[in-house]
Amino acid sequence: MNHSLLKYCVTVFCAMLLSVAVVAQTRTVTGKVTSANSGEPMPGVNVTLKGATTGASTDIEGNYRITIPSGKATLVFSFIGMLPQEVNITNRTTINVELVENPTQLNEVVVTGYNSTQKKDILGSITSISTSKFKDIPVAGFDQALQGQAAGVQVTQSSGTPGGGVAVRIRGNTSISASNRPLFVVDGIPVMDDAVSGRSFGGQNDNTLSFINPNDIESMQVLKDASAKAIYGSRAANGVVLITTKRGKANSRTTVTLDAQRGIVDIIKKVDLLNSSELLALQREAVVNAGQDPDRRGLIAGVTDGINTDWLDAILRRGIYQQYQVSANGGNDKTRFYLSGGFRDEEGVQLNNRFTRYSGALNLDHKASSKFTISSNLALTFTTNDRVKGDNFLDGVYSGAIKSLPYYSPYNEQGRLYAPGDANYPGFPNFNPVAQAVLPRFKTYGTKILAGVSGQYEIIKNLKLTSKVSLDYNNSEEDQYESSATAIGGFLPAVGGQGYGVYSTNTLYTLLNSNTLTYLFNIGEKHHFNTLLGAEILQTKNRSSFASGRIFPSDDFTYINSSGVQDAAGSGFAQNGLMSGFGEVRYDFEEKYLATFTARYDGSSRFGPNRRFGFFPSISLGWRLSEEEWLKSWDFLQDLKVRGSFGYTGNERIGNFTYLGTWAASTYSGATGVSPNNLNNPLLQWERTREANVGIDASFWSGRLSVIIEAYDNLTDNLLFNQPLPLTTGFGGFQGNIGSISNRGLEFTLSTVNIDRSGDGGVRWNTDLNLSHNQNKVVQLVNDQPLFRGYTANGVSATNVILPGQPLGTFWGLKFLGVDVATGDALYEDYNKDGRISPDDAQVIGTAQPKVIGGFTNRISWRNFDLSVFFQFTYGNKILNFSNTTLLDNGANLENNQVRAALRRWQKPGDITDVPRYELGNTYNNFHSSRFIEDGSYLRLKNVALGYNLPQQWLSKVKVRTARLYATGINLWTLTSYSGADPEVSTLDGSTSAQGIDFFTLPQTRNITIGLTVGF
Amino acid sequence: MNKYHISFTLVMALWLSSCREILEPKPIDILADQFVLNEAKDVQTVRLGAYAAFRSTAAPKVIVGDFTADYIQHNGTFTDYQELGNKQITSANGVAGALWGAVFNTIYVCNFLIEKLPTVPGVREADRKSVTAEARYLRGMANFIGATTFGGIPKVTTTDIDANKVIAKASKEEILASALADFQAALTDLPEGNATQGRSVFAGYATKGAARAALARYYLYQKQWTEAENYATLVINSGNYELVNYIDIVAEDFNNESIFEVGYTASDDPGTSAFGLNNLLVGRREVIPSNQYISQLITRDAGERQQTVSFDFNEQGGGDNGWRVDKYGTPDEDNNNIVIFRLGEMYLIRAEARAQQGRVTGTNGALSDINVLRTRAGKNLANDQKPLLVTAASQSEALLIIERERLYELSFEGHRWYDLVRTGRAQVVMSAFSPNWTQKYELWPIPQTEIQRNPSLVGQQNPGY
Repeated sequence: MNHSLLKYCVTVFCAMLLSVAVVAQTRTVTGKVTSANSGEPMPGVNVTLKGATTGASTDIEGNYRITIPSGKATLVFSFIGMLPQEVNITNRTTINVELVENPTQLNEVVVTGYNSTQKKDILGSITSISTSKFKDIPVAGFDQALQGQAAGVQVTQSSGTPGGGVAVRIRGNTSISASNRPLFVVDGIPVMDDAVSGRSFGGQNDNTLSFINPNDIESMQVLKDASAKAIYGSRAANGVVLITTKRGKANSRTTVTLDAQRGIVDIIKKVDLLNSSELLALQREAVVNAGQDPDRRGLIAGVTDGINTDWLDAILRRGIYQQYQVSANGGNDKTRFYLSGGFRDEEGVQLNNRFTRYSGALNLDHKASSKFTISSNLALTFTTNDRVKGDNFLDGVYSGAIKSLPYYSPYNEQGRLYAPGDANYPGFPNFNPVAQAVLPRFKTYGTKILAGVSGQYEIIKNLKLTSKVSLDYNNSEEDQYESSATAIGGFLPAVGGQGYGVYSTNTLYTLLNSNTLTYLFNIGEKHHFNTLLGAEILQTKNRSSFASGRIFPSDDFTYINSSGVQDAAGSGFAQNGLMSGFGEVRYDFEEKYLATFTARYDGSSRFGPNRRFGFFPSISLGWRLSEEEWLKSWDFLQDLKVRGSFGYTGNERIGNFTYLGTWAASTYSGATGVSPNNLNNPLLQWERTREANVGIDASFWSGRLSVIIEAYDNLTDNLLFNQPLPLTTGFGGFQGNIGSISNRGLEFTLSTVNIDRSGDGGVRWNTDLNLSHNQNKVVQLVNDQPLFRGYTANGVSATNVILPGQPLGTFWGLKFLGVDVATGDALYEDYNKDGRISPDDAQVIGTAQPKVIGGFTNRISWRNFDLSVFFQFTYGNKILNFSNTTLLDNGANLENNQVRAALRRWQKPGDITDVPRYELGNTYNNFHSSRFIEDGSYLRLKNVALGYNLPQQWLSKVKVRTARLYATGINLWTLTSYSGADPEVSTLDGSTSAQGIDFFTLPQTRNITIGLTVGF
Repeated sequence: MNKYHISFTLVMALWLSSCREILEPKPIDILADQFVLNEAKDVQTVRLGAYAAFRSTAAPKVIVGDFTADYIQHNGTFTDYQELGNKQITSANGVAGALWGAVFNTIYVCNFLIEKLPTVPGVREADRKSVTAEARYLRGMANFIGATTFGGIPKVTTTDIDANKVIAKASKEEILASALADFQAALTDLPEGNATQGRSVFAGYATKGAARAALARYYLYQKQWTEAENYATLVINSGNYELVNYIDIVAEDFNNESIFEVGYTASDDPGTSAFGLNNLLVGRREVIPSNQYISQLITRDAGERQQTVSFDFNEQGGGDNGWRVDKYGTPDEDNNNIVIFRLGEMYLIRAEARAQQGRVTGTNGALSDINVLRTRAGKNLANDQKPLLVTAASQSEALLIIERERLYELSFEGHRWYDLVRTGRAQVVMSAFSPNWTQKYELWPIPQTEIQRNPSLVGQQNPGY
């Protein structure tokens, strides 16, 4: 529903109530509506008679015809994104109008969940992101497109793997165990947002959001506070992202758009590793320091370092990226359509890594009668993901390459890849990374069907019943074979050394039926109501299966049919459901005082019978000061609104049946029995977040400057938390509701139009800036005992800790005090003062939570050129460079290459350095400590896009309506003091308690793309 | 308009009727607590669950027994094993947590059986008795492992979660007394078993023979030599077990020597999981036999028992001596099981008990038992390679011979560290092996997380950790 229609309805309703007589005499007015900027005719503009029921809209040529009563009247011309114009008519019969763009988009219609409203009437915290903000950027998924665009939204791409995981966090982390991902709703369908493939690839997952083609998206809304989110109640605590896909416009000519992009992809930075000679000298020193003879270990200068392989060069490449897309849209007064087809293909920078997507969409709207409208949306996607193992995998490609000793070579003298059993096989622990990249077949085939059918019936004027049935279907099939020359297929005795094949499927689908009743009415002229009542039923089912085979006759046979032994297989099924009722009342008095009440009542199958239902209400109030008479004299002030909201949202994203005490199947010596699986907790209930938000929206000088400032204070309690138990109970823990987490923050958004001479063909320059600060804190837990998360670490319990008073993502370890000048050993703080260094001396050594994050965009357009420059930054967060516990290991073992920092190690008494001495087998110097914590702040030139619109006079000759050439660069420049390759990466994709860890994670990529868009 | 009303009502009715299906789906492939053990046919499934729980103590116990001692050196990258190799074990070590967890998980399932069996209707009295006996046997074994590894541990006798989450440590003596009571009770009601019905059943589950073997080991650890000798003799003389070719000890599951072993099949083989012994010893080579151990084992006296290890030239290089342990195979091989008791150990128990009682030579002397094993170890060897039989020794010499014989016979079956600690030889032997050894390592640390989670254990960590 667009805003003018809504306004029209209100107007009509008022008119119905108030009109006393029908004027008998009428006359006809005609005219043409054009755009003031381009001079092009504008189809679909609403033309209404102020204060009456009469209305019309313009046709394809921008012409309209309206019948109005004779005498004085006012016509209102309105269109999305344009300033509405009122024209007083006396006796004129032809009125041509030029509509001017609305710089502030205050009247922009914003989808608010099950309903929509005008931007100026919004009381909640909602950020809209239009397609123009990301149309030139070659992002794989819309989640990446959110990065830096909205205050309070933190987006981290987990690695440079195409089609890989992206962590989106809205206003901090609200939960420890349950998911922290926001709810993503595409055209009313909550979509699956995490990995669909079943097999682990070492800390990096695939991402079903990348199955949705961002080019089909019209706009995105990020809902951040309780007022905006409570309509999604049970699942809204982490924020909601509403995505609206493109639809045809009524009475518009059919346009066809072709878009082609091609580009190159490179890694942004390589870690600086030692060469053979440097490493050999270092290893010999480590062996001598351990009192052993390096020659006897085969570490002989001139022999061992005879080969010098740069393993990173060996496994990395420049990838080619390409994307082609065609779309068409149009409509008449009854039927509208949007149709698109797209192809995207991105080669990863690692050998053999590639993500390909085929997508198609068809959105239809049909007005069956003046009262009944039917709509459908359908998006189909097929993807092929050629994956490689990464991060924490011993046989990972990038991780293997970064660790591998330069003494080895990937190929033998005959140019054949070294394989297990060969004399010079690099062997355990790093295998042959080139073979690990090239030889395995790790294909993940993805399918996504996103479909919805809805009908809308207007029962009486302004009372509409909408019913929608939709499906989100996700499927992955994984087709894998690891040959006998790979680590798993050839090296692991448990597999048998003759190849290993896996085939697995995973299907996850959600069926949804939602029914809403909306009613717009006024009481008197000043009290406006917009009400909604709805009910929803949702069911998610998951089916999975896998089979594996080993002992293949040779590597010419790669499917399980040919395997000699098939001794592992499985299948599974799971389901969960939600039933909900919800309602909303929006009220305003003269558009000056506004109030919204929202509530949702949700029942979830994930909770026990007594705690199944949760109630999530919210209230918000607003005051548009700019509507007050005493402020109307301030001409420069266009809009000023203060607003506040308070309410509750929930989270239920845990496993199924965790409230039940259960036993699961187990085996013993070929027989099958049952073993304890889960502890009973009938009191398990919804995780609940109490949210309070205050904000000011201000807009000055006709939208040349607009500012949004918001502050919030959220407290999540009844945390869904796997409450640990001592193992003496027979269990490690159970799913409970213990503890609370607080998120407090400030958000600042500024948009300015610095220069606007576009009217005279001059320069237009506008700037968007957003800054957010979020303070995350674990307020309370079961007790004050630390809960360890993350990776196990040398000499302490783990890399991460959850502790009351500290934020999530807190790093744990010994405090490194420096290197003893006399002995070269590491000095650690004896925290508990017991005279020795033990795990008990570990303490909090930093947090991955940034103090401030933000985005800064400048757009300049001049004649046919436009340029946008987008910077993104985070400040004040720490990164755990966990790779360096291996790559700067002080001689703990001799299996791994070292980073250049190793060259400044302590060597003799008197050396002042921060790198302890190297001694083979000494783990003390390599204990997990603050030595591996680094400042993770960075400023990144995230993208630059330069476009050129080809002049009309050229295009008209070849019957082309519009043509645009553009070039885009992503991740062009980074300012950071982080010593690893990339401060933006994070292993353990999406983890909350162990975020900000760099553990052999593939850095981001630099993409340079050129593109051409042609419209017919 | 009427037809709209009807269809609307129909839709509403359909909608609401789906409520139950949506909000109360049936659990899939899991059983709610109340259905687990409430009829006679459930008894077998829970009984298997108890064995499955006990099985998970076996691999960590082998790691504790052999990797803490002088048999191995570290050769991989994992911190847990680096700590074991360097003798720098901390309370954060994953093996401590795994063994502790497996012990108490076993105790939980056994207590569940013991508590619930009397209330399950329709169970034959004989079954009730024998399954209770099995539960008590496994619980006794778990407590025995717990007490000999960690010293005092909490004494858990119920399935009451609220009580057990704050339970205090009991003394080592109390735990051992409880284990003894369980063994004795089990001995009464356990089946004698039938060796002819197949070894995978006979040795895969607890029998009277297994209970006697447990008692023999129990009394040996308690230095009650006559009882130890008596129970060992009962097992040896039962006729149910025979000394097989040593290569079968290395390479075959459920051979005729086995008294009790925990069984894996290819589908539940631990494979590459954290405590898969084949993965640690062969696949990853996380630990390898120490040079000192190899020089002791590759001798004539070990005879065929040298087959415990093998040498691979391709593995040699850097810090790797090229040797590996062959007692735990891949899923494709026939040696994935972990032996808890076998006949060879009974001879060694009796030999030690006899030597301690001053009977070294003669038909009922310690050396005759040693020579039984040495004869077996030379069965397939040429005369000039057969281990020499021992004919004379003083008592102290005999005890050292037995200690060495245990190395030949039982290495990598989880005994070494327990033996050195109970005989008081740990300090002497281990200090010579590793400069980092201190007396604190005669007990394993209570897992750090247990102390953090259970307020009653705060301050109760074993000394030195």
